[in-house]
Amino acid sequence: MSFLTLSHINKSFNDMPAVEDFNLNAEQGEFVSFLGPSGCGKTTTLRMIAGFELPTSGKISIAGQDLTTVPPNKRNIGMVFQSYALFPNMNVAENIGYGLRIAGKPKLEIAQRVQEMLSLIHLENFSTRYPYQLSGGQQQRVALVRALAIHPQVLLLDEPLSALDAKIRVELRQEIRRIQQQLGITTIYVTHDQEEALSLSDRVVVMSQGRMEQVGTPAEIYTYPETEFVAKFVGQINLLPVDIINPPEGLVKIGKQSVRTSRAVQHADGHALRLAIRPEELNLGHVEGANNLTGKVDAITYLGSIVRIRIDVEGQLLSMDLFNERKLQTPKIGDPFEINFDADACWLL
Amino acid sequence: MKKSRYNFWAIFWASLGMLYFFVPLYGTLDFSLRMQKGTLSLLAYQTVLADPQFLESFSYSVIMGLITVLISLLIFLPTTYWIYLKLPQAKPLVEIITILPFIIPVIVYVFGLIRTFSRPPLQLTLTPFKTDILITAGYVILSMPFMYRAIDVGMRSIDVRTLTEASQSLGANWVQALVTVIIPNLRIAILSGALICFATVIGELILGDFLVRPALGPYMVQVGRDKAYEPAALGIMSFALTWICLGIMQLVSHGGTSQQITGR
Repeated sequence: MSFLTLSHINKSFNDMPAVEDFNLNAEQGEFVSFLGPSGCGKTTTLRMIAGFELPTSGKISIAGQDLTTVPPNKRNIGMVFQSYALFPNMNVAENIGYGLRIAGKPKLEIAQRVQEMLSLIHLENFSTRYPYQLSGGQQQRVALVRALAIHPQVLLLDEPLSALDAKIRVELRQEIRRIQQQLGITTIYVTHDQEEALSLSDRVVVMSQGRMEQVGTPAEIYTYPETEFVAKFVGQINLLPVDIINPPEGLVKIGKQSVRTSRAVQHADGHALRLAIRPEELNLGHVEGANNLTGKVDAITYLGSIVRIRIDVEGQLLSMDLFNERKLQTPKIGDPFEINFDADACWLL
Repeated sequence: MKKSRYNFWAIFWASLGMLYFFVPLYGTLDFSLRMQKGTLSLLAYQTVLADPQFLESFSYSVIMGLITVLISLLIFLPTTYWIYLKLPQAKPLVEIITILPFIIPVIVYVFGLIRTFSRPPLQLTLTPFKTDILITAGYVILSMPFMYRAIDVGMRSIDVRTLTEASQSLGANWVQALVTVIIPNLRIAILSGALICFATVIGELILGDFLVRPALGPYMVQVGRDKAYEPAALGIMSFALTWICLGIMQLVSHGGTSQQITGR
């Protein structure tokens, strides 16, 4: 039986659906991310778990206990906010010990727990500092252990790294994962950053317009996106309109050039199919037995470690990523260009 | 060249403003010190302070001021908090309601109070105690714009909703969140509101006069009618009181800047 269960959760604001038929079973100690663009309902779902919003219908339970209508202060769920939300009138130690003081724990126990939490984030010498005396990253670390200090059943993080700069974000997300694994706490993490979701999570829930698009491990989400939205939202993708030649053999055509996919063409019930392929799956040159396409170089973009080459294949544009090695000889715009890819690397959407 | 010209006019207008403010004040101060012929003395102040009626009206107004501050805080603090948390869409309406005491003349308001509460079912003008309840309610209404605005400005400077939710996620109910997190972060706003509210009550004339209570405002008017130097001394004393209040506000808010609010 799962630890955190969300069954058929719906939420509407003024008859406008924000979340529709959301279902999730998270195991004890699992790290699940809600990934999606702004307004897709991920934060609303998180707030329903926290108790700050009531579902219009559906049920939320933790460890078998129905919490759907339980007020937030009775749920024993820790939450970390995007804006840190440290209490400005309290120093670091007081912030961390706040939940325990509210619970009426003895002073000695609070002091011990505060020290334990401070050592978890390596900020033992910062206990008397006030939030305004800390950097953004330090504030968010304190916010994280403040939420953990009360021994919550579930930890919720609402875009906790959005307000931080890129370098700190990477450091802190590793720290979040380390602490989460060390404590084995069930965690729900909301983000619109696919890199964060893929690098942190055991499972990712991709959401769009209030609905779950796909649930799966980061590898499943990236490698086998089930919908066009997931394919486009997670990573880069080429989507090329195709003509079907031989459905059972998975044979299609881009312009006059044929391409073989690893699966038979299904669901070609009237709607136009598109060939999906990631830019990093494309290789330079011609290889016998593989899918080969010829075209012309349309644009070249340097992205640091990667060089992205846009190729015009009979009027269709597709991107290809090459590692920016020193020996790489980039073509010129307008040069004829040949690429190949495996049948396994592409699929139809 | 352009800058020094700009500075000249800035100093000129600032000086003119200061003269406009300080010359009458100086005139009043000078006059208040000339009660004793041919010499400067504090006789007018001594006379005022020795007058038992002054002490009675001053202490009455101070007590009423403190009670008004307390009741205003008890009403407006949770109300404003609740509006921020649960009814943000009601804010424009509340803003309009809170400026009504500026729009409705106090005299009209007092007549309304007297007409409504000097007859059954709720007769509040029969005994001094009941009238004090009525006058306190009146003071609360009159000082509402100042108190509400001060609290509102304080709440704008912190992220009330997120801080409350953070507090609730750690086990606090909304009263605990208000008392332990929100109020401590509003202390400057609360003090500002309280002092302006207090000053309003101390200087209020019409309510005290029409409800026949021994407030400082009516006393000052009466002294002004009957005497020459004492009203000037009273005027200077009121100024001093107001400035002390402003000084305290300045002192506290200056201390507060070293602990910036970072809740947002």
